[in-house]
Amino acid sequence: MSGQAIFTTITGAFLLPFFIRLLWGRFVNKLGAIGGFLAAIIVVGTIWILDHGMKNHLIQQGNSGWIDMGLAAAVGVFTASVVTGGKVKKSFANLGAAVIGGTISGIILILIM
Amino acid sequence: MRFLRNTFGYFLAATVINGLWGIFLNKFGLLGAYGAAFFLTGSMWCVNHYIGLIKHDDDSAFIDMGLGVAIGLIAKNYMVNGLESMINSAPTLLYVIIGAALGGYMAVLIETHIIEKDPTEINSKKESLESVNIELVDGKLEV
Repeated sequence: MSGQAIFTTITGAFLLPFFIRLLWGRFVNKLGAIGGFLAAIIVVGTIWILDHGMKNHLIQQGNSGWIDMGLAAAVGVFTASVVTGGKVKKSFANLGAAVIGGTISGIILILIM
Repeated sequence: MRFLRNTFGYFLAATVINGLWGIFLNKFGLLGAYGAAFFLTGSMWCVNHYIGLIKHDDDSAFIDMGLGVAIGLIAKNYMVNGLESMINSAPTLLYVIIGAALGGYMAVLIETHIIEKDPTEINSKKESLESVNIELVDGKLEV
């Protein structure tokens, strides 16, 4: 990847967990569940367009394959929770659940579509 | 049971978000991402993290439903395009992980700075209170 592509990919992956961590909780505290929907529109909607949708989208993919910005959200929020004291060992079960659930979803989507 | 429940939560998020996002984009173009974010991401967040289909221990690190979404797409690509697509996407994977870790860490730094109280502010309030209230200094006025 060219240097510019590396820079934009890192930036695109930086934005999502940064804003999720700073904004989402505050929205939910103020407005309850509706705050969550609002946060979803504002944070995920805008950053999806920046990272994947627009012409020179920030997360540059390789020739084939797709690394979704959901991975950035997961890794970033995980890092933040570990830094503020979350236990890594206790999260292994959920990690396994995410991998298995995601894989089964991929299989089902191929079978359906 | 808890493992099955968690797995189902991640599975649901991945299937709904990956399967239906394209519908919004096809119908409304690029700005359909906002509709998709509202309906799909919003409702999946509500079910998984707000209502709590995905259960975390109180002190365990947080595994966001986005991981299920991302792994779903990776698995789908592997089955359609084979191992070569995974090798092609390895650089992107590396830089996304680096950027995301930086993002989460910086957010924590800023959060802790927002929260911490400025200790000098509290001291000076107390000092100014004591300097004007002679009764306080004499010990006759309780605060």
